Amino acid sequence: MKNKKFTTLIMSAAVGAMSTGLVHADQLDVEKDSLKFGFIKLTDCAPLVIAKEKGFFQAEGLQVEVVAQPNWKTLLDNVISGDLDGAHMLSGQPIAATIGFGTKAHIVTSYTMDLNGNAITVSNDIWSKMQENDPKLDSPTPPHPITADSLVPVVEEILERGEKLQLGMVFPTSTHNYELRYWLASAGINPGMYTKSDTGGRTRAQVELSVTPPPMMPATLESGNIQGYCVGEPWNQQAVAKGIGVPVTTNYDIWKNNPEKVFGVSKKWADENPKTNIAVTKALIMAGKWLDETDADGKLVNREEAARILAKSNYVGADYDVIKNSMTGFFMFQKTDKREMPDFNVFFKHHCTYPWYSDGVWFLTQMRRWGQISDAKNKDWYIKTAKEVYKPEVYIAAAKLLLEEGKITEADVPWETDGFKPVTKDFIDGLEYNGKEPVKYLNSHKIGNKDPE
Amino acid sequence: MLTLISTIIIMKKIKYSLLKAIDITGLTFLAPVVRLCYGEEPQVQFKKIGQWIIVPLIAVFIALFVIYDGFIVDTFKTKSGKLPTSSKIYSSYKSIDQLHDDEIAKEKAYNLSGEERVEELKVVEEKITSAEKSLEEASKAVEDQTLVSKAETAKDVAPIQAEYDELKESVKAASAARDVEMKLLAESITPGDEAAAQKLLGLVRADDAQDTLDKEKRNLTKEKINLILTKKSPALQKRKAEETYFSERLAFLKTYKTLLSTQNKSLIIDEKKEKIATYEKELASLSGADALKKAKSIVNQESVISKKEESEYAGSKTIWYQVKRSVLCVFTGFFLGSFLAIPIGIFCGLNKTFMAMMTPFIAIFKPVSPIVWLPIILILVMGAFPNPDKHPFMEFLGELPLLGVYKINPAFIASAITVALCSLWATMANTALGVASIDKDHMNVARVLKLGFFARLTKIIIPSSLPLIFAGLRISLGVGWMVLIAAELLSSSEGIGKFVFDEFNNGSSDSLAKMVVVVFIVGIIGLILDRIMVIFQRLVSFEGAPATI
Repeated sequence: MKNKKFTTLIMSAAVGAMSTGLVHADQLDVEKDSLKFGFIKLTDCAPLVIAKEKGFFQAEGLQVEVVAQPNWKTLLDNVISGDLDGAHMLSGQPIAATIGFGTKAHIVTSYTMDLNGNAITVSNDIWSKMQENDPKLDSPTPPHPITADSLVPVVEEILERGEKLQLGMVFPTSTHNYELRYWLASAGINPGMYTKSDTGGRTRAQVELSVTPPPMMPATLESGNIQGYCVGEPWNQQAVAKGIGVPVTTNYDIWKNNPEKVFGVSKKWADENPKTNIAVTKALIMAGKWLDETDADGKLVNREEAARILAKSNYVGADYDVIKNSMTGFFMFQKTDKREMPDFNVFFKHHCTYPWYSDGVWFLTQMRRWGQISDAKNKDWYIKTAKEVYKPEVYIAAAKLLLEEGKITEADVPWETDGFKPVTKDFIDGLEYNGKEPVKYLNSHKIGNKDPE
Repeated sequence: MLTLISTIIIMKKIKYSLLKAIDITGLTFLAPVVRLCYGEEPQVQFKKIGQWIIVPLIAVFIALFVIYDGFIVDTFKTKSGKLPTSSKIYSSYKSIDQLHDDEIAKEKAYNLSGEERVEELKVVEEKITSAEKSLEEASKAVEDQTLVSKAETAKDVAPIQAEYDELKESVKAASAARDVEMKLLAESITPGDEAAAQKLLGLVRADDAQDTLDKEKRNLTKEKINLILTKKSPALQKRKAEETYFSERLAFLKTYKTLLSTQNKSLIIDEKKEKIATYEKELASLSGADALKKAKSIVNQESVISKKEESEYAGSKTIWYQVKRSVLCVFTGFFLGSFLAIPIGIFCGLNKTFMAMMTPFIAIFKPVSPIVWLPIILILVMGAFPNPDKHPFMEFLGELPLLGVYKINPAFIASAITVALCSLWATMANTALGVASIDKDHMNVARVLKLGFFARLTKIIIPSSLPLIFAGLRISLGVGWMVLIAAELLSSSEGIGKFVFDEFNNGSSDSLAKMVVVVFIVGIIGLILDRIMVIFQRLVSFEGAPATI
C-alpha cells in the first residue's frame, strides 16, 4: 500500500519534471541571484509578497528576501545606498528622485504594481459635521461619490478660529498627496502650494497637509493630531474596524483606475543587472496575473489566499478580516455600508502592470501644479522625463519570454502601444487628461500653477 | 569506606565552590537552598527561602494573575479590543517562536536531497490532509458563529436605532414648529418695536440652544449604536483565531511541500543537469549557427547551475535571529565605547588639566538622547559607505566566519555607534574616579621605585582602579541595551527594536500581546547581561566588595 503510494508519487514527480522541461525555456543566467526587496506595510505590496510566497521568484532562479521598511524616505534611501536591490515605491517617488525633488538619484521602473487602492478617511467628528452640511450624507448608506463640497464650511469654520484643518498624507510625492489635493481643490479648497522656500507645501493653504507613515495613520487620527488622512489599505479599513473614522471617498472615485505603486530600482542597479531585472519583472508579472485571476463568473479566485498571506506578521500583519475587506472586491465605508468594489485593487487587468509613460506625465503635471517643480516646463520635457523613468522595454522583454513559455497570453500585454493610455475624462471633476498634452491639462485646473503653452 | 570518605570530601568541596559561585554571580537567593541541602541550620534557611524565593514568586503570581488578569484586563480597553491576558501573551510567544521554527524547517527543506527528501515529502502530504480537514471544520465554526453574532448585534442595535429614528423625527418636527413660530413673530413685528425685536432675538437664541442640545442628544444615541457595532464578540474572535491558526499551519505545510518538491535545490539542479545532458546530445547532431546557439545555451545553463549550488534559502528574519543580532550590536557598541572611555577616563583621573579640558565635552554630550544621535550618525555612516555592497570593509565583515550571517550593514554600524556614544559616559566617569582615588602611598612607592609610565599603568593604576572601571562598564552595558532598542527602532536595523516597531505598525489584534512578549525578552536578556558584568566585577574586586543586587 505504502509502496504503491510511493511509486505514484515518483511518477507524478517525473511527469511534472518532464512537462516543465518541455514548456520551460532556458532560465536566465542572472547576474545576482540573492536579492533583498523592501516594502511598506500596505496591501498593494501584494505582487512582491506573492511572487515570493507563491514561488514565482524561485521559478526564475532568484532567492528573494522581502523586508518591511518603516517609511518611504528610509525605503528610498536604502534603494539608493544599495542596501535594498529594489522596492515597492510610490509612483511619484522614482520621478521625484530622478528630477531631484527631495533626495536626488536616478530611479527607474519597469513594472506598475497596481491601480487604485487608496481612500480618504475623516474623523467621526468631521464626518458628523459633513453630514450636517449635506443631509443626504446622514444615512447608513449615503450616495457616492462624496465630493469635498460638504467639507468647505468645516474648513472655513476652523479657519475662522485661526486654525487649520489638519490632514495626513504619506509622502510629499505620493499619489495620496496628489489625490487628496485633487479632491480638495475640486471643491475649491486650496491645499497649499510648494515654493522654493516652502518645501512643506503650505503657501496660501486653507488646510494643513502633513506627512505621517501609513501604518501610523490610525494612531495619529485617534490621538487627534490630524482630522483626516489619505492612505492605502488596510489603514482605512482599520479606521472602520476600530470605529475611529469614516472613509468618505476612494481614489477610484477621484480618478478611475489611477496608477498607484511601482516597482523601483536604481538606474545603476538596472544597468549592472540587466538579466536579473528582466527575471524580476517576469516573476512580478506572474504574481500580478495570479492576483487578478478570475473564475467564469468574474469572481477573483486567489484574493482570499492572498489576504491570508498578507496578514502574516512579517508582511502587512493587520488582521485577516481587515485586509480581506478591500482585497476581495469590497470596501467598507462604515460599519453599515459595505459596498462591492471589484476594481478597488487592480493588479493585472486593464494592462495595468505595463509602465505607461502617460502615468509618469500625469504625476509630473501634478508636481508642477502644486509647485514641487518650481519652473515652467514645456511639453517635450514632461515626455522626456517620463521616458527616463519608465522602462517599458524591460517589461516587453520579460513579457516576450513569458509568452514563449506559454505562461501568459497575447492579450495580456499591450505589445504595440506607444506608451500613452487613451484620453480620459474619468475624474471627479470631469476634466480631460491627454498624456501627450501635459501643459494644456495643467492649465485646465482651477487651482494651481499655470504655464504658457 | 574510602569511597564514602572521598565523596564526603568532594561534596564538602563542592558546597563551598557552589556557595562561592553563587556569591560571585550575585544570585544570593540560591545560597539558602544549597545550605539547606547540606542540612545547615534548616530553620534559618527555610526563613531565608521564604523571604527570597517564595515571597517574590507570590508577588509575581498576584501581580500577573490576580491584579492584571482579574482586574486590569477587564477594566482597561483599547481601540483594538481588550488587553491581552497572560495566557494570550503566552500563546503569542508560542506563535512568534513557531514562526522561527517554521523558517528553520523551510531552510532545511530547501537543502534536503535524496531519500530523506522523499521520506519527508510523504510525511508532509499526510500532514496536509489532516490540516485541510481541521481548517474546514474551523471555517464552518466561524460561519456558524458569524450568523449567531450578527443576529445578536442586530437584536442589540434595533431598539436603539428605533429610538434614534424616533428622536430624529421628533426633533425635526419640533424644529419645524419653532421655525414657523419664529417666522410668524418676525412677520408680525412693526419696525421700531424694541420689545418685539428683543422677543424675536430671544426666540432665535432659544432655538439655537435647543438645536445644539438636540444634536448632542442625537450624537449620543448614535455613539451608542457605533459602540455596539464596533464591539467584537469574544466567541467569534476565538473561532476566528482558531481558523487563522489552522490556515497558517496549512499555508506553511504547503510551502514546505513545494520546497521539498518543485522548489527543492537538489531537484532543480538535477533537472538542469539533465537538460544540459540532452542539450549536449543535440549539440552533437548540429552544425553552424544552430550549434553555436546550443553551445551558448549549455554554457549559460552551466553558469545557472553553479549559482544555484551556492544559493541559500532566503527566509524572513525571526525573533531569535533578531535577538542574537541585537546582542551582537550592543556588544559592538559597548566595546567601541569602552575602547574610548577607559583611556580617556584614565588620563582624566591622572591629570587635572586634562580633566578640565574634557569637562565641557562630557557635560554637553552626556545628556544627548539616542534619538538625536541616531539620525546624525546614520547620515555620517551612509556617507562613509556610499556603496556599502561593494565596500571592502563591508565585504570583509560579510565574510567573517561567525558574524557573516548577521549581515552587518550601515544601519547596524550606526546603531552600534549610537550605543557607544550614549553608554560610554558611565565607564569614563567611573574610570576617572577610580584612577583619581588610588592610594597616594601606592603612587609614592612607584615614584621611589622609579617605575616608568607603562609600568605604573599596568602595575598600579589599572589594577587598583579595576573594580570601579567594571562597575562603570556594568552601568554602560545596561544603558547600551536600553539605547539599542530605540536605535534599532529608528534605523530599522534588523533586531528586537525593529520587531517591536513592525508589530506596532501591524496594528493587528495580537500585536499588543507580541509587544508585551518583547518586554519580557528584553528584560531577561538585560538581566543576563547584567549578571555577566556582575561576575566580572566580583572577579576583579579583591577585598570582597559589597554584593550587588
